[in-house]
Amino acid sequence: MNRSDAIRICLACLAADDIVVASDGAISREVYAVLDRPRTFYMLGSMGQVGSIALGLAMTRFERVIALDGDGNFLMGTGGAAMIGGVKPANLYHLVLDNGVYGTTGGQPTLSRQVDLAALALGVGYRWARRCFSDMHAPGAVEQWLAARGPAFLALAIDEPEERPAPRIPLTPETMATRLRAALEEG
Amino acid sequence: MTTSRWFEALAGTGINFVAGVPCSYLAPFFAACESLPPTALLRATREDHAVAACAGAWLGGRSPLAVMQNSGLGYCLETLSSLHILYRMPLPMLVSDRGAASDFEEHRFLGQRARALLDLFEIPWREGAPGEEASLARWLVAAAREARCPAVLLVGREEAP
Repeated sequence: MNRSDAIRICLACLAADDIVVASDGAISREVYAVLDRPRTFYMLGSMGQVGSIALGLAMTRFERVIALDGDGNFLMGTGGAAMIGGVKPANLYHLVLDNGVYGTTGGQPTLSRQVDLAALALGVGYRWARRCFSDMHAPGAVEQWLAARGPAFLALAIDEPEERPAPRIPLTPETMATRLRAALEEG
Repeated sequence: MTTSRWFEALAGTGINFVAGVPCSYLAPFFAACESLPPTALLRATREDHAVAACAGAWLGGRSPLAVMQNSGLGYCLETLSSLHILYRMPLPMLVSDRGAASDFEEHRFLGQRARALLDLFEIPWREGAPGEEASLARWLVAAAREARCPAVLLVGREEAP
């Protein structure tokens, strides 16, 4: 399974009013390439802040908030994960696409193979956390994850490289932010 | 019961989401924050996570405020740069002004450069003044909203009134 496959599995399970926060780098680009929608926020920088941005949304909205994270990004933002576990928003769903490397910068290894990401999430207080290493079980794991009460955490192992990186997103950052806020204001 | 002039002044501007990391200079402010509803107060683990959560709250329709010691500005710079400044999201920030010659030595190096740091990052800032809390709070919120970027009030030790 490659990153696009995992993103497709997740996006296929979204409800229309779900709010998505996609992490900076390849994940945002892939999400945009698969399915662009006003309720998706694409991060370009501020690495490590996916969970914290999602938490700010989850505390202020009733809809589900889906954080699409990478393993390097998640490990950088563990203090933010502790905030999620402490606040315990029932509408926050955190997915880590776990390829074990910093994919956007050339594939340098992260510590995800040495750190139990699901134990970390449970340890800081997420209500549900699993790690899935099997492509065959990935769709079922995503289904269980989204059926759990949040904050719920799922790490999906990505073991195949991308054929080519998705292109940069052709929206201005200001457009990305204002259109999400406007979509949420409309209801 | 509220015992912080800054809290009263900022609540009066329509701020309805607060995320921050405490500073002893702002202890009355943080004590007053405990009266906020659970969905309006985030006890952040670090200042960069606080400002990122404020961005999420702003996207969700709230008027956020980030609160921290000036040492926390260092942690925040990348997130302010590539989130709030890049995406043009307003963020009022209440920041304690540590680092005077009479302050503990660990506060001095960054504290004495905080104004230059804010100027370098083109973040509008003003100094808090006792008795002018209401007008400065209005300036802070208006400056962030009009420029659609972070704006900072640097404030000294707050004594409970």
